[in-house]
Amino acid sequence: MDKKLKETILNPILKGNPITVLILGICSSLAVTVQLKGALVMALSVIIVTGLSSLVCSLLRNTIPMRVRIIVQLVVVAMMVILVDQILKSGEGTYAIDKQLSVYIGLIITNCIVMGRIEAFALGNKPIPSLLDGLANGVGYGLILIIVAFFRELLGSGTLFGFRVLPAGYIPNNLVILPPFALILLGCIIWVHLIRQVNLR
Amino acid sequence: MNKIFEKGGKFYWLHSTVDAFETFLHVPGTVTTKGSHVRDAIDLKRILILVVIAAVPAALFGMWNVGYQHGLAVGDPRLNILGNWWYGFLRVLPLYLVSYIVGLGIEFACSQIRGEEVSEGYLVSGFFIPLIVPVDIPLWMLAVAVAFAVIFGKEVFGGTGMNIVNPAILTRAFLFFSYPNYMSGSSCWIHYKPTEQLVDGFTGATPLALDGASAQYGTGFWDLFIGTVPGSVGETSVIAILLGAIVLIWTGIASWKIMCAGILGALFVGGLGDLAGISTIPCYMQLLYGGFAFGIVFMATDPVTSAQTEAGKWIYGFLIGALCIVVRLFNPGYAEGMMLAILLCNVFAPLIDHCVISAHLSRKAKKLKTA
Amino acid sequence: MNTNSNAYTVIYTTLVVVVVAAVLAFTAMKLKPSQEANAKAETLRQMMSAAGVKPTEELYAAKNAEILELYADNIQEAYTIGLDGEKNGTLSVSKDKIELVDKLKPQNAAIKAGGEVTLPVYIFKSGIAVIPIYGAGLWGPVWGYIGINADCHTIAGAFFDHESETPGLGAKIKDEAWFREKFIGKTVEWGEKPAFRLEKNAEASGASNAVDAITGATMTSKGLDEALNVWFDAYGKLFGVAAFFNALGDVSLSEVSNSTEEE
Repeated sequence: MDKKLKETILNPILKGNPITVLILGICSSLAVTVQLKGALVMALSVIIVTGLSSLVCSLLRNTIPMRVRIIVQLVVVAMMVILVDQILKSGEGTYAIDKQLSVYIGLIITNCIVMGRIEAFALGNKPIPSLLDGLANGVGYGLILIIVAFFRELLGSGTLFGFRVLPAGYIPNNLVILPPFALILLGCIIWVHLIRQVNLR
Repeated sequence: MNKIFEKGGKFYWLHSTVDAFETFLHVPGTVTTKGSHVRDAIDLKRILILVVIAAVPAALFGMWNVGYQHGLAVGDPRLNILGNWWYGFLRVLPLYLVSYIVGLGIEFACSQIRGEEVSEGYLVSGFFIPLIVPVDIPLWMLAVAVAFAVIFGKEVFGGTGMNIVNPAILTRAFLFFSYPNYMSGSSCWIHYKPTEQLVDGFTGATPLALDGASAQYGTGFWDLFIGTVPGSVGETSVIAILLGAIVLIWTGIASWKIMCAGILGALFVGGLGDLAGISTIPCYMQLLYGGFAFGIVFMATDPVTSAQTEAGKWIYGFLIGALCIVVRLFNPGYAEGMMLAILLCNVFAPLIDHCVISAHLSRKAKKLKTA
Repeated sequence: MNTNSNAYTVIYTTLVVVVVAAVLAFTAMKLKPSQEANAKAETLRQMMSAAGVKPTEELYAAKNAEILELYADNIQEAYTIGLDGEKNGTLSVSKDKIELVDKLKPQNAAIKAGGEVTLPVYIFKSGIAVIPIYGAGLWGPVWGYIGINADCHTIAGAFFDHESETPGLGAKIKDEAWFREKFIGKTVEWGEKPAFRLEKNAEASGASNAVDAITGATMTSKGLDEALNVWFDAYGKLFGVAAFFNALGDVSLSEVSNSTEEE
């Protein structure tokens, strides 16, 4: 059991990463990775939403009528997303970041990772493993987001978390800021990931 | 080939590099021994060399024009033809060095890694790249762009012959989107030092971006046709490019269908623009402006990235010409649309071919049924 | 229990929706005051940036409470005007009860329809009057605050914001300090069409009321240009008269608007 739990946590972060292996959640990872700060907040939001939604759905799993289960899941996820959005908006420090992420916090609801984990895992497992599975998938998603945002902010603005790290003479690369470059970076990450997978086997 | 480079030899890991130089310098001694094969003197290396030769007039003229434009800008047209050419040659030479050293370096390294023969595809791309960028582009930017284009435009797809988009155009696109301030506007097309005194009413804008303002150079039909205007190094002279086109068509290397279709497409949209009153210049002038001529002759006809079917070539060329003028007329942000049109059609070329082939097959099938 | 029966399904879903609605309603009510305080402080930051009260970075580093205090200390008066340029209301500026007209969307619609409007004018102690602008960018609304000097003709500062413009392109209207700094010292030609020009290569014409559009962000620039002109037009009556009198003698904006009120 212990080993299985460990697998539940580690698999989504490394071997079965939702972005690089399942190619889920691409849309938001292109949109919110221009700056590290935004990516970090987005990652945390997704971790909370996937974790709590999985937990709630797992608690309800034996009572949900099968015919309307998708709708019930959707309501739960929507509730979590709205809660996260409202809390971000009300914090003095997070208000500006919520404005910067604009619609993408609301769009977590359409992130396939959340619904995918509920359908695939939470409906058939006990609450604690489901919570961990949701959190781990969120972390796996967040990890890729942070990697992409790191390169995009470094090369596109010469800064990290808003602090200038490259010398002032560095000419920012405008292409890096445009969404297509995030796709190229994602491709590279998947490339590295696949090479490592092959080597592991 | 020396023994130590052959399989099992000490320096076997270098064999593709050595092989590349050897076949570049000598005709390879290996011949086909069995099965049917084509008897022809031409091979990939000879084709590529011919394309380079076709682009030489444009390159030579471009170098002269760099010097000439500099002379006009500082109000000092003292240099003669050779002097102007030498001045431009010294400016363009670093671009060539960067283009070839970076591009070939990556090409050799990738071939080594894959353990394949080095293919010569980059000889042509490397020759074109300096011709389609502004002369004042910082060299490190060019190096980054070349590296990006060769790796992501070519090597990840499997090297020469496997690429979806033209690496030279991709280099330019990378520069265009990454460093727009160095690739458009009025400060990049003419070489001059910050300390030099410029003539009154000086503008560095290309004719396409000029919008009717007066400039130190002429913008009439013949100025554009001969190419004595600012622009990317090799793109200004239509007459030099026409010479190249003749070589390419005469040797049968580039498709005349693509060129014709491209011109028709441009005239079609340009003509519609004239009729609707959107365009400020007669449609035939569109063919002389900017990178249209260079793009349609050298870039669009790249046999790897263009459509392969005969009907497909007409569609592909027409789309490039039409899209280029659409961007010029309707996108106020970009003055030039040739690069974007070619890139987009590169991506669509396999789809065009697919449609042409399946249409052909279904026609055949119908005929068979009725027969 | 049969979880697939119709009755169960209906009761279950109803229950879930009611519970979720209750949770959301409760949090929304609980968090509303702090959300509104955030929004108000944000608006005040932008207005004070345009008025040049403090550098933008300092304003964004300051806490909400400090912002309210800073505003109360620096504001002279605030009132609203109609399309005819006449005063039709006052806005409280005391620290505990700061009133703003921050719902710009309905105002924008009313300006275009020629209906009833309450356009805010915030006059700071430095003599700078701040007015809002609002319009449609590429993906969503763009808005901003323009600080007009005491001569009612030159621009003292500007701040622009947007909801969802493209990062790195349209978002430059907010992110790049050089863009808003370009507006400083430019003029607004009240009553002329256009009163202000934000266009490609506009600066080359040498006009004092022109700023270059942002390269690569054509639609955002266009939307901002329209927003500027629609709102400048709406304020044109008051500011045009004020600028005229100001050129004759030292007559301040509030004197002009108070006199139009009396007529």
